[in-house]
Amino acid sequence: MKGRLTALRRLYAVQGAWNYERMLGIGMGYAAEPLLESIESADPARHEEAVVRSAEFFNSHPYLAGLALGASVRAEHDGVPGVQIARLRTALCSPLGALGDQLFWAGVVPAMVAASITAMVLGASPWVVAVFLVTFNLLRGWVAVWALDTGIGSGTSVGAAIRQSWLPRAAARAGSVAGLLIGLAIPVTGAWFLEPFGRGPVIAALGLAVAGVVIARVGGPVYAAPRFALAAIGLTLLVGGLLT
Amino acid sequence: MIVEPVILLALLLWGTLVGLDLVSFPQAMLSRPFVVAVVAGTLLGDPAAGLRVGILLELFALDVLPVGASWYPDYGPATVGAALYATTADSWVTGLGVATAIGLMGGLVGGSSLRWLRHRVARDLHEQADALAAGNTSAIRQLQYRSIGRDALRSAGLTALALGLAIAASRWLVLDPRTGAALTIVAIGCGLAAVIGGALRSAGRGARMRWLAAGLAGGLLLLGLR
Repeated sequence: MKGRLTALRRLYAVQGAWNYERMLGIGMGYAAEPLLESIESADPARHEEAVVRSAEFFNSHPYLAGLALGASVRAEHDGVPGVQIARLRTALCSPLGALGDQLFWAGVVPAMVAASITAMVLGASPWVVAVFLVTFNLLRGWVAVWALDTGIGSGTSVGAAIRQSWLPRAAARAGSVAGLLIGLAIPVTGAWFLEPFGRGPVIAALGLAVAGVVIARVGGPVYAAPRFALAAIGLTLLVGGLLT
Repeated sequence: MIVEPVILLALLLWGTLVGLDLVSFPQAMLSRPFVVAVVAGTLLGDPAAGLRVGILLELFALDVLPVGASWYPDYGPATVGAALYATTADSWVTGLGVATAIGLMGGLVGGSSLRWLRHRVARDLHEQADALAAGNTSAIRQLQYRSIGRDALRSAGLTALALGLAIAASRWLVLDPRTGAALTIVAIGCGLAAVIGGALRSAGRGARMRWLAAGLAGGLLLLGLR
């Protein structure tokens, strides 16, 4: 399809205009533009409608947005009624969000980060950072190409194409790999940091870790950890200042 | 602390890039704290110091699931400031706590600034409502470029704030070594709390919990063998 490479490049900025109203909508419209261009000369009215639809509300995992983009653009080219295309986009939001979050945010990313930091604390050189970036981005790039091509290739039957693909199985397994690698990283990294300290400070750090986990459970997930840490550091600074 | 202006400029550019990377473009994981800190440390001539604070801040970042509309800290630009402080401290044992605090403060401010940005983009969207309803492709492009431009400014501002905090702390915060080491111990304990809390929350009660337990056992075994 004409404009595929430009669309692929633009998908890397699909969250560029992320907002609470249309979420990824504007980014999707931006990525769809080169793919819809060929409709303009044949049917300007249809092109205008397609552009409006392409920038409407949409939300999914950014790395998998190509599936919805390809499918909806293919449907536009095939002359599928606009209402059906809008319904297709809406129907894809939740599954693409859930699969992407499971695969990348809760799976591949923490797994690769944990493996990288474990390797570095065990003595590997900081070049591990480059290996991490290259490996991750090769994978991410391959997923982006696969997503857009699968969407373009399957149009309104993209749901079936996703179900039959590797994606649901990989998303289901990625979390376990991440769990294993994070589990491995925790004691190794903790020991690396605490190595030069005596028994007392080590016990204090581990006690603080337990207290922090309990407080995070009670106080809420996302902001509990950095706020708890800043409060503890501030208190230590205050006590240290008073004692010296 | 004396840092050459050209290095400061390079750090500012790097912080801006990693701030953009978190959400807007290209989401290539440049914004992971251990990546940010190693590059910043290398620019400052001490990648090892950068690595240590980067890994500690990474323990906090592993607690974050950057899902859709949720509110999460932006550690990337803040890590640049943390790395600057870490590379200028006498030793990591006494400097890591303050460097981590700089990263955490900057991260929280960064999270709030993302919320501001998202509201600001929505305001731009309202201003372009008629053009969008008319299928105007240049309005879409304009919104996209303007939003990314705003995010770049946000990221540059955050990096400047983090660098300013690092310079101010190294100039005016005088700590005796005991307090410095105590702050480091506290930061390490809190980092471990963050990564353990996040891992337990993600693991739930299913297969992932069993894999997490297996990983922990493997890590402890590895420590025993060393």
